[in-house]
Parts: sequence; C-alpha cells; structure tokens
Amino acid sequence: MSSAQLEIQLIASLVAIACAIPGTFLVLRKMAMISDAISHSILPGIVIGFFITQDLNSPVLILLAALTGIITVVLVEYIQKTGLVKEDTAIGLVFPALFSIGVILIAKNANDIHLDVDAVLLGELAFAPFDRLLVSGVDLGPKSLWIIGTILLITITLLIAFFKELKVSTFDAGLASALGFSPMVIHYGLMTVSSVTTVGAFDAVGAILVVALMIAPAASAYLITNNLKRMLAYAICFGVISAVSGYWLAHWLDASIAGSITSVLGILFLTIYLFAPNKGIIAILYREKQQRTEVSLLTFLLHLKNHTDETERHVNHLNEHINWQKVRSKTVLDLALKNNMIRIENKIVSLTEKGNDFTTQAIDYIITNEDSQIEGMKDDFFLFRG
Amino acid sequence: MKNKIAVQVDDLTVAYNYKPVLWDIDLEIPEGVLMAIVGPNGAGKSTLIKSILGILKPIAGSVAIYGKPYDKQRSLVAYVPQKGSVDWDFPTTALDVVMMGTYGSLGWIKRPGQKEKKAALEALEKVGMLSFKNRQISQLSGGQQQRIFLARALVQNASIYFMDEPFQGVDATTEIAIINILKELRKAGKTVIVVHHDLQTVPEYFDWVTFLNVKKIATGPVKDIFNDDNLTKTYGINYKVVVSD
Ligand SMILES: Nc1ncnc2c1ncn2[C@@H]1O[C@H](COP(=O)(O)OP(=O)(O)OP(=O)(O)O)[C@@H](O)[C@H]1O
Ligand SMILES: [Mg+2]
Repeated sequence: MSSAQLEIQLIASLVAIACAIPGTFLVLRKMAMISDAISHSILPGIVIGFFITQDLNSPVLILLAALTGIITVVLVEYIQKTGLVKEDTAIGLVFPALFSIGVILIAKNANDIHLDVDAVLLGELAFAPFDRLLVSGVDLGPKSLWIIGTILLITITLLIAFFKELKVSTFDAGLASALGFSPMVIHYGLMTVSSVTTVGAFDAVGAILVVALMIAPAASAYLITNNLKRMLAYAICFGVISAVSGYWLAHWLDASIAGSITSVLGILFLTIYLFAPNKGIIAILYREKQQRTEVSLLTFLLHLKNHTDETERHVNHLNEHINWQKVRSKTVLDLALKNNMIRIENKIVSLTEKGNDFTTQAIDYIITNEDSQIEGMKDDFFLFRG
Repeated sequence: MKNKIAVQVDDLTVAYNYKPVLWDIDLEIPEGVLMAIVGPNGAGKSTLIKSILGILKPIAGSVAIYGKPYDKQRSLVAYVPQKGSVDWDFPTTALDVVMMGTYGSLGWIKRPGQKEKKAALEALEKVGMLSFKNRQISQLSGGQQQRIFLARALVQNASIYFMDEPFQGVDATTEIAIINILKELRKAGKTVIVVHHDLQTVPEYFDWVTFLNVKKIATGPVKDIFNDDNLTKTYGINYKVVVSD
C-alpha cells in the first residue's frame, strides 16, 4: 500500500467519524433531510468564499459556507413556522433556490474560478493526497487531512462536553428547556457542527457522500441497539468500515471512490435492515409468525383445560375439532410438548401442571392486561412482548 | 390560613403563529395545594404549563415562582410533560430517563455520578419500577412509561410539580399508585399542579381546581367552585357530574 493510498483511507475514515457523530443526532431528531439541504445549499457560500479567499481550503471559506448551511436551517424553520407548508416542503423550497444561486454564480464566473458543480457534489478523494500542507518547505501531509482532523477534534470535544445536553434535548426538548438547557442553543450548535463538517469534507469527498456518511451509518446503528452511546460507537464503526472497504472496492473496480463508499453504505444499511435482531424485517416477520403460533397454542391449551372427557382430548379429534390443518396442529403440539405443557398418553392429550399454570396466567393477563404478571413469560414467548 | 403564593400568573397571553390560544390569564396558586387544571382538548392546558416553565414565550404577561421569575427558580420546579410529547423509541433505558431529572441541578457540562444514580434508583423504587431499570423505554407499557416520568420528576426534588396528564392511559392500579404519591408530596408541603381529564375523580383527588378554556373560567377550592355552572362554562355543554358527599 502506497502512502497516498493510506492517506486517502485515513481521510475517508476521519470524514466518516466526523459525519457519524452529528449524523446520529440528526437521525434521532428525524432531521435526516436537513443534512441533504445543507449539503446542497452550501454551494453559493463556497463560491462566494472562493471569490474572497481564492483558496478552497481556507478556514474563512469553510466558515462562510457553513454560514450558508445555518441560513438554510433558519429559512426552513421560518417557512415552516408560517404554518403554510410542512417541514419537508420547506426544505424542498429552500435548498434548490440556494443551490441554483451557487450554480449561476459558477456559470457566470466560469473563467475566473476552477470550480465546478460536479467537484462540489462528488469531490475527488483520489486527488486529496496531492494538495499538501507545506509549512516553510516542510511537508506536513495532505491539507484535507488537517482540515477534517481539526473539525473532528472539535466535534469530539463538543460531544464529550455536551453529551448530556444533547441527549436530553433530543429526547425531551420541553424538559431540557425547563431545566435551563436551551434547546435552541443545542439545535443551532448541532446545525453548525453539521454545516462545518459538510463544508470541511466536501472538497475531499463531495457533498453527496457527506450526506450518505451522516445518515446511513447512524440509521443502521439505530436498528441494532437501544443504547445511545453504543449507537454512536456503531455508527462510527460502520462509517469507517464503509470508507475503507469502499476505497478498496473502487480500487478493484477502477471506479469513483465516493461512489463506491456510498454503495457500500447502501448495502450495509440494507443488510442490517433485513437481518437486525429485533427491528430487522426478517426478525419482525419471524416474530409475527411465532405470535400466530403462540395464539394457536393458547387456544389449544384452553381447549384442553375446558374439556375433561377423553374423546375431546384425542389427538385425532383435535385436528377436526379445533379446525386446523395437519401442519399447524403438529407445530402447536410440538411447541406444547417442547415446553412440557402437555403429556400424550395413548393418543390422549392432557395438560401438565406447568401447562395448567401457564394457561391460567396467560388468560389472566389477556383479561386484566396487567403486565406485572407475565414478566417471566416474556423471555420465552413473543406473544407477551407487546 | 393564609398560604404563601407558590405560582403567580399575571395577564398572560400566549399565541402560536400570532393566534392566541391563552387570553389574559390571571392565576394565583397557593403553596401546598394539589390542584387540577381541567378543560376540553385544545383549551391551552399544556400551553399554560409550558408558558409558566418558560418553554414557550408569551406575547404578554408575566409569571412568578415564589415572587421571582422562573429563570431564577428553576431548581424549585419539576415537570412531567404529556407522555406523547417524546419519542419512546429513543435508544435509552428507564434508569437513564429518570437520571435526566438530575441534570438541572448539575448544570451545563457536568456529568451525573454515583450520587445522581442513587437518587434515580430511589425514585424508581418509589414508583415501583426498580426492576425495570435497565429496560429499554419502548418496551415499557404506557402506564410504566408514565411512572418513569413521575420518577424523573421526583428525582428533581422540587417544591412545585407540574404534571401534564399523568393519568393518561394508565390502569386503575397505577392511577391509585400515582395519586398516592401526589398526595404524599402535598403532605410534605409541596405544591402539585396536574392537568386532569377525568372530571369524576376531581373531588376525590384534588383540593384545588382551575377551569381553563382559552380564558381562565374559575380557580379556587374544589369544594367551593367545582360545580355544574363552572363545568358548563368550561365545556360549553350542559355538564352534570355527581359530586359525592
Ligand atoms: N406547536 C403548536 N403550533 C401551533 N398550534 C399549537 C401548537 N401546540 C398547540 N397548538 C394549539 O394551541 C391550542 C392549545 O393547545 P394545548 O396543547 O395547550 O391544549 P391542551 O389543553 O393541552 O389540549 P389536550 O387536552 O389535547 O392536551 C390548540 O388549539 C392547539 O391546536
Ligand atoms: Mg395538553
């Protein structure tokens, strides 16, 4: 691996981490769309900043462009507050307008600046190692690495300092406000960090990949954990894994790095969406199937409890009586046997003591809907997990 | 008996998008009462509480907590929002939600430690939810979520408690458990203000009541003002409740 390759992966990974942190909170605040808006509407800010500074990596340009991001947020909120349109509509109104101003500014001045819309949206990670930071002749590495490294450092410091404030204002803005943690301050803090990160990263990876890196890892992490700190950690891991494997995918396919990373992110999210243990599609389908079986089981046990004479409890009779298909009867019988709830002697089925208790408890629960009674049963049966 | 005034609201008008939803409210809540705020859906009950707590900015009027602005008295006040106002799929546990009640006394940046955790565990114990401390909040029933919110308010260890529909979606057992805790708070000299929808239970649970529907209709002791006249004025229809005793 050459040092340029290493540097590209390092830059991509740092961008991934810097995006995953604000991204986690954006996802939890259901504000994924706003990052898309910011990523497009920073364009005029970048162009104007470039007129002033003549340097795509200047901190002044980053701050100016980030300001356009904040203006976007303010405009969206203002339009939304009029009550005439919903938030997504407001976003859809604001960012194409700002983006097109940027496009016009570029077109009008095409001769003076070497900046094009593609470069802003897609970036070119492969070139990042060539633009180096030289201090009195000494090569300190790629400029992008320093920019994104600085932004990441600030982001992590803010995250550690204000973790509790971010958490409480995201979960319950009313309480946060009542406790004296202004949700407005935290909201605009988060928006500023998101904007600065987007601008800082666009030169290296492009605005589209920034959005993908903010939302996809956090959305994936959300599906597999119930703990905020772990969600942050998973989002960071997913981001870095996608960045590195996306890089190698691009290498093998000789394709765009940003495009490959975005594809990996998409595949990663899809995989988790399908296979996540609790919130994944397959888990949900499985749970629904189990719940159906368990309802049948309960019906069956109840039948046994209510009928004492043997003809009613004969295996063959059960098939016709409860009116189930062979397969279903067998699944239910097996489940009951596996849980030691029934006993079969000479093809006569009877409840065991455990089966009897279970039935009483379950019926009790269904009638009273009191949760405390069935705590122990939740682990074994999906039926009681709400 | 001349009690101190815990909460004083003067000429309060609150609007969303310039449309007033609370008009010129004057309200004095004496210290040590257990007060119900009643009124139909959309009457502005939640809005009143949010304005008292500085969550919403009124377009006119002022609020005082023991004679001073809310900003200066935060530590004296605890708040239970309406249950539907938060996202219960948020990745966190019951214990962590209760811990949030301690954030106010910590202030910015400082993190909760052992002392805060201990207080949170005690509050969970008090509402009978200790065994659920590590449960993810979406896996709690509606009544259990309500108890968690109550525990979070208890941990704030305040003098005045504002609760927005703490009985919403809870069963009879939980309702009794909650009201007993509220009565205990009153016994300890605290002031408790509760948005309440079940008119039948007002005389049994509360000693003070405020009727609200955009304007304040009446406020005072339940035994004096909880009558058909005020109910009719508040709800617009001819209301008859059976007030026992
Ligand atoms: N964020 C908001 N934006 C615009 N209007 C709002 C907002 N929140 C509440 N309102 C309106 O203000 C009025 C009062 O609302 P509020 O929530 O205070 O009523 P409430 O008495 O608490 O009702 P409920 O019994 O349904 O909880 C309603 O007409 C409501 O539609
Ligand atoms: Mg309300």
